[in-house]
Amino acid sequence: MIQLNALTKRYGDVVAVDDLTVTVRPGLVTGFLGPNGAGKTATMRMILGLDLPTSGSATIDGRPHHELPSPLRVIGSMLDAQAVHPQRTAYKHLLYLAQSNSIPAGRVAEVLDLAGLADVAGRKAGGFSLGMSQRLGIAAALLGDPPVVVLDEPVNGLDPEGVRWIRTLIRGLAAEGRTVLVSSHLMSEMAVTADRLVVIGKGRLIAEAEIGEFTETGSTVLVRTPEAAAFSRRLELSGAHVQAGDDDELLVTGMTAPDVGRLAAAEGVPLFELTQRRVSLEDAFMELTRDSVEYGAAR
Amino acid sequence: MIGTGVLRAEWTKFSSIRATMVLAPASVAVAGMLGWLFGNATAGDYAVATAQERLDFQPLEMGMRGLYIVQVLIAALGVLIVSSEHGGGTMRASLAAVGRRGHLLAAKAGLTVMTALPVSVASVWLMYVTSQSTLAAGGASHMTPGEPAVLRMLLAGPLVLTALALFGLSLGFLLRGTAPAVNVSTAFLLLPLFATIAPDFMNGLLEVYWPNVAALQVVSGASPLPAWAGYGLLAGFVAAMLGAAFVHFGNHDA
Repeated sequence: MIQLNALTKRYGDVVAVDDLTVTVRPGLVTGFLGPNGAGKTATMRMILGLDLPTSGSATIDGRPHHELPSPLRVIGSMLDAQAVHPQRTAYKHLLYLAQSNSIPAGRVAEVLDLAGLADVAGRKAGGFSLGMSQRLGIAAALLGDPPVVVLDEPVNGLDPEGVRWIRTLIRGLAAEGRTVLVSSHLMSEMAVTADRLVVIGKGRLIAEAEIGEFTETGSTVLVRTPEAAAFSRRLELSGAHVQAGDDDELLVTGMTAPDVGRLAAAEGVPLFELTQRRVSLEDAFMELTRDSVEYGAAR
Repeated sequence: MIGTGVLRAEWTKFSSIRATMVLAPASVAVAGMLGWLFGNATAGDYAVATAQERLDFQPLEMGMRGLYIVQVLIAALGVLIVSSEHGGGTMRASLAAVGRRGHLLAAKAGLTVMTALPVSVASVWLMYVTSQSTLAAGGASHMTPGEPAVLRMLLAGPLVLTALALFGLSLGFLLRGTAPAVNVSTAFLLLPLFATIAPDFMNGLLEVYWPNVAALQVVSGASPLPAWAGYGLLAGFVAAMLGAAFVHFGNHDA
Protein backbone atom coordinates (compact mmCIF):
# COMPACT_ATOMS: atom_id res chain seq x y z
CA MET A 1 0.00 0.00 0.00
CA ILE A 2 1.22 3.47 -0.86
CA GLN A 3 -0.05 6.44 1.08
CA LEU A 4 0.41 10.03 0.06
CA ASN A 5 -0.42 12.45 2.79
CA ALA A 6 -0.77 16.13 1.80
CA LEU A 7 2.26 15.55 -0.42
CA THR A 8 3.61 18.80 -1.83
CA LYS A 9 6.66 19.55 -3.96
CA ARG A 10 7.93 22.89 -5.17
CA TYR A 11 10.81 23.36 -7.58
CA GLY A 12 11.64 27.01 -7.08
CA ASP A 13 8.43 28.87 -7.83
CA VAL A 14 6.79 25.99 -9.63
CA VAL A 15 4.42 23.85 -7.62
CA ALA A 16 4.78 20.39 -9.16
CA VAL A 17 2.68 18.49 -6.63
CA ASP A 18 0.07 20.30 -4.59
CA ASP A 19 -1.35 18.85 -1.38
CA LEU A 20 -1.92 15.37 -2.78
CA THR A 21 -3.61 12.86 -0.49
CA VAL A 22 -4.14 9.45 -2.07
CA THR A 23 -4.13 5.83 -0.97
CA VAL A 24 -2.99 3.23 -3.49
CA ARG A 25 -4.43 -0.12 -2.45
CA PRO A 26 -3.09 -3.66 -2.89
CA GLY A 27 -4.60 -6.16 -5.31
CA LEU A 28 -5.55 -3.52 -7.84
CA VAL A 29 -3.91 -1.78 -10.74
CA THR A 30 -4.12 1.91 -9.99
CA GLY A 31 -3.73 4.12 -13.02
CA PHE A 32 -2.02 7.40 -12.30
CA LEU A 33 -3.22 9.73 -14.95
CA GLY A 34 -2.69 13.30 -15.94
CA PRO A 35 -1.53 15.44 -18.83
CA ASN A 36 2.20 15.90 -19.37
CA GLY A 37 3.61 18.08 -16.61
CA ALA A 38 0.81 17.23 -14.19
CA GLY A 39 3.23 16.02 -11.51
CA LYS A 40 3.02 12.25 -11.98
CA THR A 41 6.74 11.65 -12.20
CA ALA A 42 7.51 14.08 -9.38
CA THR A 43 5.06 12.18 -7.18
CA MET A 44 6.64 8.85 -8.05
CA ARG A 45 10.11 10.24 -7.40
CA MET A 46 9.00 11.30 -3.93
CA ILE A 47 7.50 7.87 -3.24
CA LEU A 48 10.91 6.39 -4.14
CA GLY A 49 12.84 8.84 -1.99
CA LEU A 50 14.61 10.40 -4.98
CA ASP A 51 13.09 13.83 -4.48
CA LEU A 52 12.43 15.18 -1.02
CA PRO A 53 8.89 16.47 -0.39
CA THR A 54 8.58 20.18 0.37
CA SER A 55 5.89 19.15 2.83
CA GLY A 56 3.65 16.18 3.50
CA SER A 57 4.78 12.58 3.19
CA ALA A 58 4.77 9.48 1.02
CA THR A 59 4.90 6.12 2.74
CA ILE A 60 5.11 2.52 1.55
CA ASP A 61 3.39 0.08 3.88
CA GLY A 62 3.58 2.75 6.55
CA ARG A 63 7.23 3.69 6.18
CA PRO A 64 8.98 6.34 4.11
CA HIS A 65 11.38 4.96 1.51
CA HIS A 66 14.53 6.13 3.31
CA GLU A 67 13.63 3.99 6.32
CA LEU A 68 13.41 0.76 4.36
CA PRO A 69 16.43 -1.48 5.08
CA SER A 70 16.10 -3.36 1.76
CA PRO A 71 13.95 -1.14 -0.45
CA LEU A 72 13.93 -3.44 -3.49
CA ARG A 73 12.24 -6.14 -1.43
CA VAL A 74 9.41 -3.73 -0.61
CA ILE A 75 8.97 -1.52 -3.66
CA GLY A 76 10.10 -2.18 -7.21
CA SER A 77 10.13 0.64 -9.69
CA MET A 78 10.83 1.73 -13.21
CA LEU A 79 11.01 5.47 -13.69
CA ASP A 80 13.43 5.90 -16.57
CA ALA A 81 14.19 2.72 -18.48
CA GLN A 82 17.14 4.34 -20.23
CA ALA A 83 18.93 4.98 -16.94
CA VAL A 84 21.43 2.15 -17.32
CA HIS A 85 25.15 2.75 -17.73
CA PRO A 86 25.73 2.16 -21.46
CA GLN A 87 28.91 0.14 -20.84
CA ARG A 88 27.36 -2.16 -18.28
CA THR A 89 25.79 -5.45 -19.31
CA ALA A 90 22.18 -6.20 -18.46
CA TYR A 91 23.39 -8.92 -16.10
CA LYS A 92 25.81 -6.67 -14.21
CA HIS A 93 23.21 -3.93 -13.94
CA LEU A 94 20.78 -6.30 -12.27
CA LEU A 95 23.56 -7.96 -10.27
CA TYR A 96 24.64 -4.76 -8.54
CA LEU A 97 21.04 -3.91 -7.72
CA ALA A 98 20.53 -7.41 -6.30
CA GLN A 99 23.74 -7.28 -4.24
CA SER A 100 22.81 -3.95 -2.72
CA ASN A 101 19.70 -5.57 -1.22
CA SER A 102 21.28 -8.96 -0.48
CA ILE A 103 19.08 -10.61 -3.09
CA PRO A 104 20.65 -13.91 -4.24
CA ALA A 105 22.36 -13.71 -7.64
CA GLY A 106 20.13 -16.55 -8.86
CA ARG A 107 17.20 -14.17 -8.85
CA VAL A 108 18.93 -12.09 -11.53
CA ALA A 109 18.72 -14.99 -13.98
CA GLU A 110 15.07 -15.49 -13.06
CA VAL A 111 14.01 -11.92 -13.82
CA LEU A 112 16.11 -11.85 -17.00
CA ASP A 113 14.18 -14.92 -18.10
CA LEU A 114 10.88 -13.42 -17.07
CA ALA A 115 11.60 -10.26 -19.07
CA GLY A 116 12.69 -12.28 -22.09
CA LEU A 117 16.23 -10.95 -21.88
CA ALA A 118 18.08 -14.19 -21.10
CA ASP A 119 19.74 -14.21 -24.52
CA VAL A 120 21.10 -10.66 -24.25
CA ALA A 121 22.10 -10.77 -20.57
CA GLY A 122 25.78 -10.38 -21.48
CA ARG A 123 25.25 -7.48 -23.87
CA LYS A 124 25.99 -3.88 -22.95
CA ALA A 125 22.87 -1.88 -22.23
CA GLY A 126 24.09 0.96 -24.46
CA GLY A 127 23.14 -1.12 -27.48
CA PHE A 128 19.63 -1.89 -26.30
CA SER A 129 16.54 -0.73 -28.16
CA LEU A 130 13.93 1.20 -26.22
CA GLY A 131 11.84 -1.96 -25.95
CA MET A 132 14.76 -3.96 -24.52
CA SER A 133 15.59 -1.18 -22.07
CA GLN A 134 11.97 -1.17 -20.98
CA ARG A 135 12.14 -4.91 -20.36
CA LEU A 136 15.35 -4.47 -18.40
CA GLY A 137 13.64 -1.79 -16.33
CA ILE A 138 10.77 -4.18 -15.59
CA ALA A 139 13.25 -6.92 -14.68
CA ALA A 140 14.91 -4.53 -12.22
CA ALA A 141 11.53 -3.59 -10.74
CA LEU A 142 10.70 -7.24 -10.06
CA LEU A 143 14.15 -8.19 -8.74
CA GLY A 144 13.19 -8.12 -5.06
CA ASP A 145 9.79 -9.78 -5.62
CA PRO A 146 8.28 -6.64 -4.08
CA PRO A 147 4.69 -6.31 -2.81
CA VAL A 148 4.54 -2.79 -4.27
CA VAL A 149 5.39 -1.94 -7.89
CA VAL A 150 5.59 1.56 -9.37
CA LEU A 151 5.96 2.02 -13.14
CA ASP A 152 6.22 5.36 -14.92
CA GLU A 153 4.79 5.24 -18.45
CA PRO A 154 5.75 1.60 -18.95
CA VAL A 155 4.27 1.20 -22.44
CA ASN A 156 5.87 4.30 -23.93
CA GLY A 157 7.71 3.46 -27.10
CA LEU A 158 6.91 -0.25 -27.07
CA ASP A 159 5.83 -2.28 -30.07
CA PRO A 160 2.38 -3.92 -29.89
CA GLU A 161 3.80 -7.20 -28.65
CA GLY A 162 5.67 -5.41 -25.88
CA VAL A 163 2.57 -3.43 -24.93
CA ARG A 164 0.58 -6.63 -24.62
CA TRP A 165 3.35 -8.24 -22.55
CA ILE A 166 3.39 -5.34 -20.09
CA ARG A 167 -0.41 -5.24 -19.81
CA THR A 168 -0.56 -8.94 -19.02
CA LEU A 169 2.28 -8.62 -16.56
CA ILE A 170 0.69 -5.67 -14.75
CA ARG A 171 -2.66 -7.44 -14.48
CA GLY A 172 -0.85 -10.52 -13.17
CA LEU A 173 1.01 -8.54 -10.50
CA ALA A 174 -2.23 -7.10 -9.17
CA ALA A 175 -3.90 -10.51 -9.28
CA GLU A 176 -1.11 -11.79 -7.03
CA GLY A 177 -2.21 -9.19 -4.48
CA ARG A 178 0.49 -6.61 -5.11
CA THR A 179 -0.01 -2.89 -5.04
CA VAL A 180 0.52 -1.63 -8.58
CA LEU A 181 0.77 2.04 -9.50
CA VAL A 182 1.14 2.76 -13.21
CA SER A 183 1.32 6.23 -14.66
CA SER A 184 0.23 7.23 -18.12
CA HIS A 185 -0.88 10.28 -20.00
CA LEU A 186 -3.08 8.09 -22.20
CA MET A 187 -6.54 7.32 -20.90
CA SER A 188 -7.04 4.67 -23.56
CA GLU A 189 -4.11 2.69 -22.15
CA MET A 190 -5.49 2.92 -18.62
CA ALA A 191 -8.92 1.83 -19.80
CA VAL A 192 -7.56 -1.64 -20.59
CA THR A 193 -5.22 -2.13 -17.63
CA ALA A 194 -6.38 -0.18 -14.59
CA ASP A 195 -9.03 -1.03 -11.98
CA ARG A 196 -8.91 2.31 -10.35
CA LEU A 197 -7.82 5.74 -11.47
CA VAL A 198 -6.16 8.66 -9.77
CA VAL A 199 -6.33 11.69 -12.03
CA ILE A 200 -4.18 14.74 -11.35
CA GLY A 201 -3.67 18.02 -13.14
CA LYS A 202 -1.25 20.80 -12.26
CA GLY A 203 -0.19 18.76 -9.25
CA ARG A 204 -3.66 18.60 -7.74
CA LEU A 205 -5.97 15.66 -7.31
CA ILE A 206 -8.83 15.94 -9.80
CA ALA A 207 -10.56 12.61 -9.35
CA GLU A 208 -10.05 9.25 -7.69
CA ALA A 209 -12.44 6.38 -8.35
CA GLU A 210 -13.05 2.91 -9.78
CA ILE A 211 -12.67 3.02 -13.52
CA GLY A 212 -16.38 2.38 -14.16
CA GLU A 213 -17.43 5.46 -12.25
CA PHE A 214 -15.59 7.70 -14.66
CA THR A 215 -17.82 6.65 -17.54
CA GLU A 216 -21.06 6.35 -15.60
CA THR A 217 -21.02 9.82 -14.13
CA GLY A 218 -21.01 11.24 -17.61
CA SER A 219 -23.40 8.82 -19.33
CA THR A 220 -26.56 10.02 -21.01
CA VAL A 221 -29.63 8.30 -22.46
CA LEU A 222 -30.89 9.36 -25.86
CA VAL A 223 -34.69 9.14 -26.26
CA ARG A 224 -36.75 9.84 -29.40
CA THR A 225 -40.46 10.15 -28.94
CA PRO A 226 -43.26 12.07 -30.73
CA GLU A 227 -44.43 13.28 -27.32
CA ALA A 228 -41.10 14.83 -26.41
CA ALA A 229 -42.39 17.85 -24.53
CA ALA A 230 -44.83 15.95 -22.30
CA PHE A 231 -42.43 13.10 -21.62
CA SER A 232 -39.70 15.58 -20.79
CA ARG A 233 -41.83 17.05 -17.98
CA ARG A 234 -42.70 13.54 -16.75
CA LEU A 235 -38.99 12.59 -16.65
CA GLU A 236 -38.08 15.67 -14.70
CA LEU A 237 -40.83 14.92 -12.17
CA SER A 238 -39.08 11.55 -11.63
CA GLY A 239 -35.82 13.31 -10.89
CA ALA A 240 -34.02 13.02 -14.23
CA HIS A 241 -32.31 15.91 -15.92
CA VAL A 242 -33.51 16.45 -19.48
CA GLN A 243 -32.07 18.44 -22.31
CA ALA A 244 -34.09 18.86 -25.51
CA GLY A 245 -32.24 17.76 -28.64
CA ASP A 246 -33.21 18.10 -32.29
CA ASP A 247 -36.93 17.67 -33.10
CA ASP A 248 -38.17 14.74 -31.07
CA GLU A 249 -34.93 13.97 -29.24
CA LEU A 250 -34.34 14.14 -25.53
CA LEU A 251 -30.99 13.76 -23.79
CA VAL A 252 -31.59 12.33 -20.33
CA THR A 253 -29.05 12.24 -17.54
CA GLY A 254 -29.54 10.97 -14.01
CA MET A 255 -31.63 7.98 -15.04
CA THR A 256 -30.64 4.67 -16.61
CA ALA A 257 -31.96 3.55 -19.97
CA PRO A 258 -34.08 0.68 -18.51
CA ASP A 259 -35.73 3.10 -16.07
CA VAL A 260 -36.51 5.53 -18.86
CA GLY A 261 -38.04 2.64 -20.85
CA ARG A 262 -40.14 1.45 -17.89
CA LEU A 263 -41.41 4.97 -17.26
CA ALA A 264 -42.40 5.35 -20.93
CA ALA A 265 -44.24 2.02 -20.84
CA ALA A 266 -46.10 2.96 -17.64
CA GLU A 267 -47.13 6.30 -19.16
CA GLY A 268 -47.98 4.78 -22.53
CA VAL A 269 -45.52 7.00 -24.35
CA PRO A 270 -44.35 5.56 -27.67
CA LEU A 271 -40.55 5.46 -28.03
CA PHE A 272 -38.80 5.47 -31.41
CA GLU A 273 -35.35 5.19 -29.92
CA LEU A 274 -33.79 4.48 -26.53
CA THR A 275 -29.97 4.46 -26.49
CA GLN A 276 -27.49 4.44 -23.64
CA ARG A 277 -24.69 6.79 -24.63
CA ARG A 278 -21.62 5.91 -22.68
CA VAL A 279 -19.02 8.64 -22.58
CA SER A 280 -15.66 7.20 -23.51
CA LEU A 281 -12.97 7.27 -20.84
CA GLU A 282 -10.96 9.40 -23.19
CA ASP A 283 -13.71 12.03 -23.26
CA ALA A 284 -14.18 11.82 -19.52
CA PHE A 285 -10.46 12.38 -19.03
CA MET A 286 -10.33 15.32 -21.44
CA GLU A 287 -13.30 16.87 -19.68
CA LEU A 288 -11.68 16.39 -16.27
CA THR A 289 -8.30 17.76 -17.16
CA ARG A 290 -9.34 20.47 -19.59
CA ASP A 291 -8.53 23.22 -17.12
CA SER A 292 -5.21 21.78 -16.11
CA VAL A 293 -3.45 21.09 -19.38
CA GLU A 294 -0.23 23.08 -19.38
CA TYR A 295 0.18 23.60 -23.07
CA GLY A 296 -3.18 23.05 -24.77
CA ALA A 297 -4.16 24.00 -28.28
CA ALA A 298 -6.43 27.01 -28.52
CA ARG A 299 -10.11 26.10 -28.38
CA MET B 1 26.28 -0.63 10.08
CA ILE B 2 26.49 -0.69 6.30
CA GLY B 3 25.59 -3.99 4.73
CA THR B 4 28.45 -5.70 2.92
CA GLY B 5 25.94 -6.12 0.09
CA VAL B 6 25.98 -2.39 -0.63
CA LEU B 7 29.77 -2.47 -0.74
CA ARG B 8 29.77 -5.50 -3.06
CA ALA B 9 27.32 -3.68 -5.29
CA GLU B 10 29.74 -0.75 -5.48
CA TRP B 11 32.52 -3.10 -6.54
CA THR B 12 30.29 -4.58 -9.26
CA LYS B 13 29.60 -1.07 -10.56
CA PHE B 14 33.29 -0.14 -10.41
CA SER B 15 34.45 -3.28 -12.18
CA SER B 16 31.83 -3.24 -14.92
CA ILE B 17 32.73 0.03 -16.62
CA ARG B 18 35.79 0.90 -18.64
CA ALA B 19 36.78 4.28 -17.21
CA THR B 20 37.53 3.06 -13.69
CA MET B 21 39.06 -0.24 -14.76
CA VAL B 22 41.42 1.54 -17.15
CA LEU B 23 42.27 4.49 -14.91
CA ALA B 24 43.38 2.30 -12.00
CA PRO B 25 46.20 0.40 -13.77
CA ALA B 26 46.96 3.45 -15.92
CA SER B 27 47.76 5.44 -12.76
CA VAL B 28 50.32 2.82 -11.75
CA ALA B 29 51.86 2.75 -15.23
CA VAL B 30 52.09 6.54 -15.34
CA ALA B 31 53.70 6.55 -11.88
CA GLY B 32 56.38 4.08 -13.01
CA MET B 33 57.04 6.03 -16.17
CA LEU B 34 57.29 9.38 -14.38
CA GLY B 35 59.71 7.85 -11.87
CA TRP B 36 61.91 6.79 -14.74
CA LEU B 37 61.63 10.16 -16.56
CA PHE B 38 62.37 12.32 -13.52
CA GLY B 39 65.09 9.89 -12.43
CA ASN B 40 66.73 10.16 -15.82
CA ALA B 41 66.49 13.93 -16.05
CA THR B 42 67.73 14.40 -12.50
CA ALA B 43 70.65 12.04 -13.02
CA GLY B 44 71.61 14.18 -16.01
CA ASP B 45 71.52 17.33 -13.87
CA TYR B 46 73.52 15.59 -11.17
CA ALA B 47 76.27 14.69 -13.61
CA VAL B 48 76.97 18.35 -14.37
CA ALA B 49 76.25 19.71 -10.86
CA THR B 50 78.82 21.48 -8.66
CA ALA B 51 80.07 19.89 -5.45
CA GLN B 52 77.81 22.12 -3.34
CA GLU B 53 74.79 21.26 -5.46
CA ARG B 54 75.58 17.58 -5.03
CA LEU B 55 75.66 18.05 -1.26
CA ASP B 56 72.22 19.71 -1.31
CA PHE B 57 70.80 17.10 -3.69
CA GLN B 58 67.53 15.50 -2.48
CA PRO B 59 67.23 12.29 -4.48
CA LEU B 60 63.87 11.24 -3.01
CA GLU B 61 62.15 14.59 -3.50
CA MET B 62 63.55 15.01 -7.02
CA GLY B 63 62.78 11.47 -8.11
CA MET B 64 59.22 11.49 -6.78
CA ARG B 65 58.10 14.78 -8.39
CA GLY B 66 55.77 12.71 -10.58
CA LEU B 67 53.50 12.31 -7.56
CA TYR B 68 52.04 15.71 -8.45
CA ILE B 69 50.68 14.16 -11.65
CA VAL B 70 49.70 10.81 -10.14
CA GLN B 71 47.69 12.52 -7.39
CA VAL B 72 45.46 14.00 -10.12
CA LEU B 73 44.77 10.56 -11.60
CA ILE B 74 43.99 8.98 -8.25
CA ALA B 75 41.70 11.84 -7.26
CA ALA B 76 39.94 11.31 -10.61
CA LEU B 77 39.42 7.68 -9.63
CA GLY B 78 37.50 8.91 -6.59
CA VAL B 79 35.49 11.30 -8.75
CA LEU B 80 34.48 8.52 -11.15
CA ILE B 81 33.15 6.30 -8.37
CA VAL B 82 30.34 8.85 -7.99
CA SER B 83 30.18 10.66 -11.30
CA SER B 84 29.89 7.52 -13.42
CA GLU B 85 26.48 7.15 -11.77
CA HIS B 86 25.44 10.66 -12.73
CA GLY B 87 26.82 10.26 -16.24
CA GLY B 88 25.16 6.90 -16.79
CA GLY B 89 21.90 8.00 -15.17
CA THR B 90 22.08 5.19 -12.62
CA MET B 91 22.14 7.35 -9.50
CA ARG B 92 18.35 7.13 -9.27
CA ALA B 93 18.36 3.37 -9.67
CA SER B 94 21.06 3.13 -7.02
CA LEU B 95 19.11 5.35 -4.64
CA ALA B 96 15.87 3.49 -5.24
CA ALA B 97 17.81 0.37 -4.19
CA VAL B 98 19.64 1.93 -1.24
CA GLY B 99 17.26 4.41 0.31
CA ARG B 100 19.55 5.47 3.12
CA ARG B 101 21.78 7.96 1.41
CA GLY B 102 24.38 7.92 4.16
CA HIS B 103 24.83 4.20 3.52
CA LEU B 104 25.38 4.72 -0.18
CA LEU B 105 27.92 7.47 0.49
CA ALA B 106 29.70 5.36 3.10
CA ALA B 107 29.83 2.38 0.73
CA LYS B 108 31.30 4.57 -2.00
CA ALA B 109 33.86 5.98 0.42
CA GLY B 110 34.70 2.41 1.48
CA LEU B 111 35.13 1.30 -2.10
CA THR B 112 37.26 4.38 -2.82
CA VAL B 113 39.66 3.38 -0.06
CA MET B 114 39.63 -0.28 -1.13
CA THR B 115 40.51 0.56 -4.73
CA ALA B 116 42.61 3.71 -4.35
CA LEU B 117 44.83 2.29 -1.60
CA PRO B 118 46.24 -0.64 -3.61
CA VAL B 119 46.58 1.61 -6.66
CA SER B 120 48.40 4.19 -4.51
CA VAL B 121 50.70 1.59 -2.96
CA ALA B 122 51.57 0.21 -6.38
CA SER B 123 52.07 3.73 -7.82
CA VAL B 124 54.30 5.03 -5.04
CA TRP B 125 56.38 1.88 -4.75
CA LEU B 126 56.83 1.55 -8.49
CA MET B 127 57.77 5.21 -8.80
CA TYR B 128 60.25 4.79 -5.99
CA VAL B 129 61.85 1.78 -7.68
CA THR B 130 62.03 3.34 -11.14
CA SER B 131 63.25 6.75 -9.95
CA GLN B 132 65.90 5.57 -7.51
CA SER B 133 67.17 2.79 -9.77
CA THR B 134 67.44 5.23 -12.68
CA LEU B 135 69.33 7.67 -10.44
CA ALA B 136 71.62 4.88 -9.34
CA ALA B 137 72.18 3.73 -12.92
CA GLY B 138 73.01 7.34 -13.87
CA GLY B 139 75.63 7.46 -11.17
CA ALA B 140 73.66 9.97 -9.08
CA SER B 141 73.04 9.96 -5.35
CA HIS B 142 70.00 7.83 -4.52
CA MET B 143 68.23 6.35 -1.53
CA THR B 144 67.74 2.76 -0.42
CA PRO B 145 64.73 1.27 1.38
CA GLY B 146 66.25 1.05 4.85
CA GLU B 147 66.41 4.83 5.30
CA PRO B 148 63.67 6.48 7.42
CA ALA B 149 62.80 9.02 4.70
CA VAL B 150 62.20 6.18 2.27
CA LEU B 151 60.09 4.25 4.74
CA ARG B 152 58.02 7.37 5.31
CA MET B 153 57.53 7.78 1.57
CA LEU B 154 56.60 4.14 1.02
CA LEU B 155 54.20 3.92 3.95
CA ALA B 156 52.68 7.40 4.22
CA GLY B 157 52.77 8.30 0.51
CA PRO B 158 49.99 5.86 -0.47
CA LEU B 159 47.83 7.07 2.43
CA VAL B 160 48.12 10.66 1.24
CA LEU B 161 47.11 9.68 -2.30
CA THR B 162 44.18 7.64 -0.97
CA ALA B 163 43.00 10.66 1.02
CA LEU B 164 43.07 12.65 -2.23
CA ALA B 165 40.86 9.99 -3.84
CA LEU B 166 38.33 10.70 -1.07
CA PHE B 167 38.68 14.40 -1.93
CA GLY B 168 37.78 13.49 -5.54
CA LEU B 169 34.83 11.42 -4.31
CA SER B 170 33.50 14.41 -2.34
CA LEU B 171 33.74 16.62 -5.41
CA GLY B 172 31.84 14.01 -7.41
CA PHE B 173 28.98 14.21 -4.90
CA LEU B 174 29.07 18.00 -4.74
CA LEU B 175 29.36 18.73 -8.48
CA ARG B 176 27.46 15.69 -9.85
CA GLY B 177 29.38 15.23 -13.04
CA THR B 178 32.69 13.84 -14.26
CA ALA B 179 33.80 16.91 -16.20
CA PRO B 180 33.19 19.57 -13.54
CA ALA B 181 34.49 17.41 -10.70
CA VAL B 182 37.66 16.31 -12.50
CA ASN B 183 38.34 19.86 -13.64
CA VAL B 184 37.91 21.35 -10.19
CA SER B 185 39.91 18.57 -8.57
CA THR B 186 42.78 18.91 -11.04
CA ALA B 187 42.83 22.70 -10.80
CA PHE B 188 42.80 22.54 -7.02
CA LEU B 189 45.59 19.99 -6.79
CA LEU B 190 47.84 21.68 -9.37
CA LEU B 191 47.25 25.28 -8.33
CA PRO B 192 50.31 25.25 -5.98
CA LEU B 193 52.54 24.80 -9.04
CA PHE B 194 51.81 28.45 -9.77
CA ALA B 195 52.82 29.56 -6.29
CA THR B 196 55.90 31.39 -7.59
CA ILE B 197 53.82 33.75 -9.71
CA ALA B 198 51.14 34.23 -7.06
CA PRO B 199 51.00 37.40 -4.93
CA ASP B 200 52.90 37.17 -1.63
CA PHE B 201 49.96 36.44 0.66
CA MET B 202 48.90 33.57 -1.62
CA ASN B 203 52.43 32.32 -1.98
CA GLY B 204 52.76 31.03 1.57
CA LEU B 205 49.32 29.49 1.48
CA LEU B 206 50.00 27.62 -1.76
CA GLU B 207 53.58 26.57 -1.05
CA VAL B 208 53.18 25.45 2.54
CA TYR B 209 49.60 25.16 3.74
CA TRP B 210 47.63 24.00 0.67
CA PRO B 211 46.25 20.63 1.84
CA ASN B 212 47.79 18.31 -0.75
CA VAL B 213 51.12 20.20 -0.74
CA ALA B 214 51.34 20.21 3.04
CA ALA B 215 51.01 16.42 3.17
CA LEU B 216 53.07 15.58 0.08
CA GLN B 217 55.96 17.75 1.27
CA VAL B 218 56.00 16.01 4.62
CA VAL B 219 56.09 12.71 2.79
CA SER B 220 59.01 13.73 0.58
CA GLY B 221 60.84 15.38 3.46
CA ALA B 222 60.71 18.93 2.08
CA SER B 223 58.17 20.54 4.40
CA PRO B 224 58.82 23.38 6.82
CA LEU B 225 55.85 22.05 8.82
CA PRO B 226 55.99 19.32 11.47
CA ALA B 227 54.68 16.00 10.17
CA TRP B 228 51.50 16.04 12.25
CA ALA B 229 50.59 19.46 10.87
CA GLY B 230 51.15 18.43 7.26
CA TYR B 231 49.06 15.27 7.58
CA GLY B 232 46.55 17.05 9.82
CA LEU B 233 45.88 19.78 7.27
CA LEU B 234 45.06 17.20 4.60
CA ALA B 235 43.05 14.96 6.91
CA GLY B 236 41.00 17.89 8.22
CA PHE B 237 40.39 19.18 4.73
CA VAL B 238 39.27 15.80 3.37
CA ALA B 239 37.04 15.24 6.40
CA ALA B 240 35.41 18.63 5.82
CA MET B 241 34.87 17.85 2.13
CA LEU B 242 33.31 14.47 2.96
CA GLY B 243 31.09 16.18 5.51
CA ALA B 244 29.96 18.72 2.92
CA ALA B 245 29.31 15.90 0.43
CA PHE B 246 27.25 14.04 3.05
CA VAL B 247 25.11 17.08 3.81
CA HIS B 248 24.67 17.97 0.15
CA PHE B 249 23.86 14.41 -0.95
CA GLY B 250 21.43 13.91 1.91
CA ASN B 251 19.47 17.08 1.27
CA HIS B 252 19.15 17.35 -2.48
CA ASP B 253 16.89 15.75 -5.04
CA ALA B 254 18.65 13.02 -6.97
